Amino acid sequence: MILYSTLFLITVLGAAMVLFNKDTVKAAMSLILVMVSLAVNFLLMNQEFVAFIQIIIYAGAIMVVFLFVVMLLNLREREQAPWYLRSTRLWGGAMAIAFFLLISAGAFQFFTVSGVTPTGTLAEPIDIISLSTALITKWVLPFVLTSVILLVAVIGAVVMARKQDEDGNEIMVEAD
Amino acid sequence: MTEMNVLYFEGNIILSVLLFTMGILGLVWKRNAIAVFLSVELMLNAANLLIVTFAYRYGLMAGPLLALFIMTVAAAEAGVGLAIFIALYRAKRNIRVDEADVLRG
Repeated sequence: MILYSTLFLITVLGAAMVLFNKDTVKAAMSLILVMVSLAVNFLLMNQEFVAFIQIIIYAGAIMVVFLFVVMLLNLREREQAPWYLRSTRLWGGAMAIAFFLLISAGAFQFFTVSGVTPTGTLAEPIDIISLSTALITKWVLPFVLTSVILLVAVIGAVVMARKQDEDGNEIMVEAD
Repeated sequence: MTEMNVLYFEGNIILSVLLFTMGILGLVWKRNAIAVFLSVELMLNAANLLIVTFAYRYGLMAGPLLALFIMTVAAAEAGVGLAIFIALYRAKRNIRVDEADVLRG
């Protein structure tokens, strides 16, 4: 109970720090905090596989790319938003709160009206052996297609980020 | 089902909705494209948490695998998106989302 409540608080505080930190690097670090606490949350639910890939893929690979790009771009700006953007914060906040209330009402409906109760027999925990067996037998086609997605993403990233001169020719060496 | 498991189930649904709402807030509040992207990652994490929570409750094998595929797509999206930001920075010397209003390179 205490462990879960602490974890809940850390996750929400980390997400709030992602929102309210002006510094992008600190916001990314707060997001890593959120991801690691979610991994602990998965461990509490006996989902070791998701917990490990959460740390390896999200906190490891994706956030390193984020920090690398932040370092590469070296942005320094502290200027005010233009006048036509000021009211978006208000409207956006109102919309987000409306969304929160809508989804909460939906969840409430799910538990009370539909008769589905959170209590009842808990299913058998999914062990990692049967999970990985299913991954390479029943789910092997999406698993292999994953590699195609990653390959296309790598090619797309290289095409987008390369340097070109005015005629569209490649610039191999940057001239100082 | 013990009291502890009910706590995880209901608490994680609330936590997931909270994280998703915060992601939406960041999406509409931020002007820096990288900060917007961080908010999108937050929303993806919230969706993953909900999927894994229901997989835990009902013992579904597809839940953790779906989470794996979502993470892969998120990784691909992060790679392409950040490359687009680098191209945007070359063109405009900033990556403010409200000023990137032309598709022409």
